[in-house]
Amino acid sequence: MKKILVIEDNPMVIKSLEFKLTKDGNNVVIAQDGREAMKQLKENEFDLILTDLMLPFVTGNELISYIKKNTPNTPIIVLSTSTQESIIMDAFNMGVDDFITKPFSPNELSLRVKRLLSKN
Amino acid sequence: MKNLQNPSRDHATILIVESDAVQFESFSQIALNEKWLLVVCQDGLEAIQWLNDNSSADLLIIEEDASPISGYQIADYIKTELGLALPVIITTGEIPLQQERRMLAYAEAVIKKPFSESAVVFQIRKTLEKAVEVSPAQNDHYSLNYLIDLSGNDKQFIAETLELFSSSINLELQNLKQVLEQKDYLRIREIAHGIKPSFDMLENEKGKGICHVLNTEAKEIEMPYLIDQLNSVYNNINNQLIKDFPELNLK
Repeated sequence: MKKILVIEDNPMVIKSLEFKLTKDGNNVVIAQDGREAMKQLKENEFDLILTDLMLPFVTGNELISYIKKNTPNTPIIVLSTSTQESIIMDAFNMGVDDFITKPFSPNELSLRVKRLLSKN
Repeated sequence: MKNLQNPSRDHATILIVESDAVQFESFSQIALNEKWLLVVCQDGLEAIQWLNDNSSADLLIIEEDASPISGYQIADYIKTELGLALPVIITTGEIPLQQERRMLAYAEAVIKKPFSESAVVFQIRKTLEKAVEVSPAQNDHYSLNYLIDLSGNDKQFIAETLELFSSSINLELQNLKQVLEQKDYLRIREIAHGIKPSFDMLENEKGKGICHVLNTEAKEIEMPYLIDQLNSVYNNINNQLIKDFPELNLK
């Protein structure tokens, strides 16, 4: 069973991600803000991280830098409501592996998560 | 906000700003058939003048390309500056979805040209009915399609997600009110960004559009009105959910 860290603060999105990813056979851990995410990352190892870019306490960019520095091999998928090209490009330039807009397409999410998990 | 609404949709007074002769003729015929009183204004400014002088219209239909001020700006002015609860329908050619969503922050509906007569009649009737708070014939406040697709129609998941919508958005709207009083406009944008997916998941385009405008481009002066509108959208959704799911004990 793969362990996925979901960093997200919208309760409906959290519930949906938890439902879908668990149904797909993954172990899902939720962090609702940047601090909680950093705590989880210090204490646990994850096979994949799904993160929003706008988070309480720590910005998404700060968090991505932190993940890249401490666990460079853990794939990251950014989940964002933004469809602005500059934001998407910035995320990829920081080294994220994929970008999904919210609300996510359930099948697309499954496929993209499986693809990244199988690479590792 | 002053309310101009007529309690009956029959004999409704409709202000219209439409420069295209063919489209205008079409509206005139529809109004004649439906027994609506059409008040013709040359431009948006004349419509505003008419509202200031008469204050008894039920609907404004205005083209987006109205000169010298666009339909969208007139709708914004009527609601933000004049504080009128006058429903507005904007007519336009093909436009990007994002622009349509922005319009829906101030207008009740957008009609794209060329339009069919039956579609226009339906849209006007629907707008007038909503304005007088007659129960809509169909639920157009939310859709469960996304949640059904996501969960494979898992009833428990859907019920719990609806409860989350009701409670979390209620809380965030209270937060919005508070940060508005504190004039913390950056926080308003952040909250709007955060709750946008919730409206999107229930396929409420108006709520999603207002959140988008609040997050990205709303001027500070527009924010009180937009937040007020978002409250109305939420109340409509929540009231419909209470009606449709009495077993959930939504408040």
